[in-house]
Amino acid sequence: MASRVLVSLRVRAAPDRAFEVFTRDIGLWWKPNSLFAFTPNSPGTMAFEGEAGGRLVERLDNGKRFEIGRISDWRPGRFLAFDWRQATFSPEQSTRVEVSFEAVGDETRVTVTHTGWDQVPADHVARHGFPDTVFLRRHGEWWQGLLAAFGKIL
Amino acid sequence: MADTRPALMSALCYRDPRAALAFLEAAFGFETVLLLEDAEGNVGHSEMRFGSGVIMVGSEWTAEHKSPASIEGLMTQTVHIQLQSPDDDIDAHCERARAAGARIIAEPETQFYGDRTYRCKDPEGHIWTVGQTIEETPPEAWEAATGLKTTVHKI
Repeated sequence: MASRVLVSLRVRAAPDRAFEVFTRDIGLWWKPNSLFAFTPNSPGTMAFEGEAGGRLVERLDNGKRFEIGRISDWRPGRFLAFDWRQATFSPEQSTRVEVSFEAVGDETRVTVTHTGWDQVPADHVARHGFPDTVFLRRHGEWWQGLLAAFGKIL
Repeated sequence: MADTRPALMSALCYRDPRAALAFLEAAFGFETVLLLEDAEGNVGHSEMRFGSGVIMVGSEWTAEHKSPASIEGLMTQTVHIQLQSPDDDIDAHCERARAAGARIIAEPETQFYGDRTYRCKDPEGHIWTVGQTIEETPPEAWEAATGLKTTVHKI
């Protein structure tokens, strides 16, 4: 088993539309969290570049692009998966985010599953000294806030 | 972020909270909205939503937090589910719960106060009551049916 943060929210849109706004408009709805900055120059603007095989980047104000992770799965209206690294991670450290879009009546249940934080040691700077459960809780609360912000612009 | 949860929430203890999450979704249609698992895969915290309600599903995380399965089936509180959507049908809800493994201890029956209710136990023995208002009845009718004086406080 491995650590997992799962957050789910129903949004008022069909799955195709939810997927489109989640990916194309991530720069509009994303809310940076200063505790979990990707780089020392963050926050920038989030963007998906390409589809499967493409990448999720943060476009920084200094003109650079930080690659958060490669997109491993891109199924419009259904499923999205990408890697997630912070600049302080060592090469072998990476986490993974999966996003599923599931129709429920005339709404869509959007579920984010973030795994792999157990690869990042307890004393790593990214964890800010939080005990594991507190760290995962903070991260889960951030994802809840992100999905709420995403749901608002749909 | 604004806290959108209701001010009162029940937190239930299970020996196997992961199995409970799966059961509660299959049986009652609850949706997991937050789940935190540690490196060993233990459920650290979880929240499920149903309509306007939220419950937390957790482990026996201290010596004083026990599932009914660990204390000979006893409990001091039960959780009530009130079906509020016009699409809900309590008899179908009961059949769904039964199919998912709930033990029905009181089949659906219409009560004098206008609700149709059933009662069941989940795999670890928690009792759940489920109700749906199918007829609006005034307090006078409750008094006529029971002989009990009814006081309704407006809020």
